[in-house]
Amino acid sequence: MQTNNKSSFSSLKTFLCDPFRMFGVVSVLLLLLLTVAPAKDYFSQWRSYQRQYLNLIRNRSNAVTLLRHFQGGIQQIWIPQLGVIDRCQTCHVGVTESSLSDVKEQPFRAHPPIPHKLTEFGCVVCHRGQGAATTVSEAHHSKMAGEEPILPMRYIEASCGQCHHEPLEGTPKLNRGRLLLARYGCVNCHAINLPDGSTIQATDNPPPLTHIADKTTREWIYAWLKDPTSYSASSTMPNFLFSDADASDISAFLIANSTSQPGDSMAYPATASGSASDSSAGAVLYGESFCASCHATQNAAGNLVGGDLGPELTNVGTKVKPGWLMAWLKDPHTYDPTTKMPQYRWTEQQLQTLTAYVASKTDPDFVANVHLQPATQAQIAHGKKLVIEYGCASCHEITGIPKPDNFAPDLSRVGSKPLVQLIFLPGMEQSLPAYLAEKIRRPRAFGPSLHMPKYSFTSSQIEDLTTALLSFTNRSFTLPPNLQIPAVQDTNYRPAGHAGQLMANINCLSCHRINGNGGTMAPDLSWEGSSVQKPWLDAFLKNPNTLRPTLIRRMPKFNLTDSERTVLTNYIMTVYQTPAFERDEMPLSGYSPDLVEKGRQLFYSKYACQSCHMVNPNQDKGYIGPTLTTVGARLNAAWIFHYLKDPQAMRPETIEPNQHMSDEDARALTAFLMAQKTISGQGAK
Amino acid sequence: MPGTIETYFDKLERTRVWRSIFRSGRGTSKLHNALAIQQNVFLHLFPTKVRKRMLGLEATWYLGTLTLGTFIVLVVTGILLMLYYHPSVPRAYSDVKDLQFVVSSGLFLRNLHRWSAHAMVFLAFAHMFRVFYRGAYRTPREFNWVVGVVLLLVTLLLSYTGYLLPWDQLAFWAITVGTNISSAVPLIGDKIRFLLLGGHLVNANALLRFYVLHCVILPLTAVLFLAVHFWRIRKDGGLYVRETEPGVTGADKQLSNQEQGSR
Repeated sequence: MQTNNKSSFSSLKTFLCDPFRMFGVVSVLLLLLLTVAPAKDYFSQWRSYQRQYLNLIRNRSNAVTLLRHFQGGIQQIWIPQLGVIDRCQTCHVGVTESSLSDVKEQPFRAHPPIPHKLTEFGCVVCHRGQGAATTVSEAHHSKMAGEEPILPMRYIEASCGQCHHEPLEGTPKLNRGRLLLARYGCVNCHAINLPDGSTIQATDNPPPLTHIADKTTREWIYAWLKDPTSYSASSTMPNFLFSDADASDISAFLIANSTSQPGDSMAYPATASGSASDSSAGAVLYGESFCASCHATQNAAGNLVGGDLGPELTNVGTKVKPGWLMAWLKDPHTYDPTTKMPQYRWTEQQLQTLTAYVASKTDPDFVANVHLQPATQAQIAHGKKLVIEYGCASCHEITGIPKPDNFAPDLSRVGSKPLVQLIFLPGMEQSLPAYLAEKIRRPRAFGPSLHMPKYSFTSSQIEDLTTALLSFTNRSFTLPPNLQIPAVQDTNYRPAGHAGQLMANINCLSCHRINGNGGTMAPDLSWEGSSVQKPWLDAFLKNPNTLRPTLIRRMPKFNLTDSERTVLTNYIMTVYQTPAFERDEMPLSGYSPDLVEKGRQLFYSKYACQSCHMVNPNQDKGYIGPTLTTVGARLNAAWIFHYLKDPQAMRPETIEPNQHMSDEDARALTAFLMAQKTISGQGAK
Repeated sequence: MPGTIETYFDKLERTRVWRSIFRSGRGTSKLHNALAIQQNVFLHLFPTKVRKRMLGLEATWYLGTLTLGTFIVLVVTGILLMLYYHPSVPRAYSDVKDLQFVVSSGLFLRNLHRWSAHAMVFLAFAHMFRVFYRGAYRTPREFNWVVGVVLLLVTLLLSYTGYLLPWDQLAFWAITVGTNISSAVPLIGDKIRFLLLGGHLVNANALLRFYVLHCVILPLTAVLFLAVHFWRIRKDGGLYVRETEPGVTGADKQLSNQEQGSR
């Protein structure tokens, strides 16, 4: 064997010693090497996928159609103004074939229906990845220089947010994430500028700390700083993970730094609290005043019940001093001029009752184990240093400490942050979404000197937030302006004059929206003067009853005086009118019985309004829309007429369907509805 | 039918056109062979006579020839790459991507260019080491050594200017660093940097300048000096082979001096 090898080797040697033969062998080898290049080209990944695709469609019923649509070779979508060159369809051949929606294996599945055409935006604008590439690894996973890997599907809504800055129906995660960014005050420290030049505004309403010593104790501040969620599960205050000493020093500084505000505390009679009758009367008053429309409390089962416009009140008695609470209930503007809390006109007795009731909501365990030594000057100074260092003034107003600028990194383009600029934790997934999520989940794990606090978000909330952050991309700034759909910005509308002062005092705009400014909890009042009749409005302000019995949140009773009510009613009736029609162009009554009867038939048969509305409470079951039992005494005829003609023109957000009614039908229905002045069918009952 | 083909060639070589192109005439005498070399514009750079020993692997390891070979590969692939490449900021990077992803064998072409460039730098160094350690730079070849040094610099500059053309992060920062180094030259450093970049930043002008340097100025310079380099080989007595080389022994040195004097 060995000799055989040796002989063959030596014969090879003699063969190659001839320079011509050597030249020939080398040439053949070179030729073989050169064929590698075209061969690699021919056996490329995308050709193989296109062959697989042809095999796939051959057995389908619409093979002929699919085959006619099929184009071999490299396919690309080229959109110069977006900088898009996407060759994804080279492998994802059937992406526009809706008949392939049942195909499970990629890359052949049809794209699910979306509101945009593929040729309008390409693929990479939404999915990221490298559009120019024609191999899977390069297109999907490349992280080199500027390339972004494919965005995981659970964050895909972020891509909609690059153009759509207003909430969309199909992007619940993105909408929630944006709300969280504002609600938890992320944007107090991190600036987020939008392409239209606006910024995201915080909605967390952090209280000013200028007079904090009047409101609460140092012990409570200490315990709150240590763990805000143990006081209130719905707290928007994050946990800064302070050491005991640091929390003690900060609480000492805040108390020492607080100045007294005249009138924000009043003598609270010690005898007023504790009695059982007070407690039940207090609960009734709390309910009657619809405090729960804005404030939540935890029920026995541990669930939060109530609105989130104001702070949770489950343990508020542990926090506030009763004297302060009573003064606050009397007029919250004294302590905090910018509060959203309205001023109720409660009597002294009612104030005492309510104070006793609210102050009885305590959690004695919260501050039971807090025993703080009186602070030295050095500790107070250290507390001040910490307050500056941790940017407390980014959210809270603190005497002597200005709001810091650019306290935390700007997040306006965080969704395009290159991976090379990120420092990952050992063992974590090396992608931007994973980084953002982990940074929210465990902020301090990325470095002990970081000041980012820890929020108690759930996993789904973190996913929402990450989705929202991923929508802030470079691309959203470079898009052509006609593709930008800005969010509706609040105007700075404030009602004027004496009525305006009154409306500021009872904070109408906390819940109602007027001329583009205000809350969304209650109906828009911009055209309320055209909509309702004056006597009804006056009576409603005197004693608000609900129009929608299924709602928990209701208009509270502000106990306005007669003159205040007149001012408000006149103002609303005069100022808040639509330019679309004349309010008094149709009479409030006096329609012919024939017309009323025709309207009744239209109501019950042609338009089946009783599906959602109630006219006769004995037989109608509709509860989706407001009850119309006394609508003839509430609304103006002209408003009803025009509303029936085009509901969305009067109230853009209403779910009332546009039936495209003829003038004749609308007039008959108006006549029928205007006839409903008192609750019908009561006689029969 | 070999006879017929031979007759055909015979006829061809007698035609006026043939004779006007290949003027050395027919024949296999040494004169004819010498004329064939001398009267050819491409071959006349080389000596008309070469000792067989010079052509052995041991003499030079073919390092200079290999360097020339990589240069030819670079010129050919470079010209092909120029068909696909725009030296403009918005197009440069995506053109490189297109070469990788959609041009048939484009990646092969680009890689061939890239690896040949690396090989050329390596071979040029190896060639110089070989020349240096064998003492082949000594009189009468000292001028050719200097030409070689210039060629090395041109090679390095070609390599450096080509680095910017893909217009990726690596290129951008490499050129940023490189031109900043040049600005460290005393007094005129900033001017040199400005001249190289066509501005103060690595931007469109820098890309265009590097492109022109890489594709026109430096290759022409290289060809010019290559011609001088080969010409000098001939004039300095052919390739250096130790045993026959003038300048090693005293007698040879004298001979060499006489030779030089006669030229």
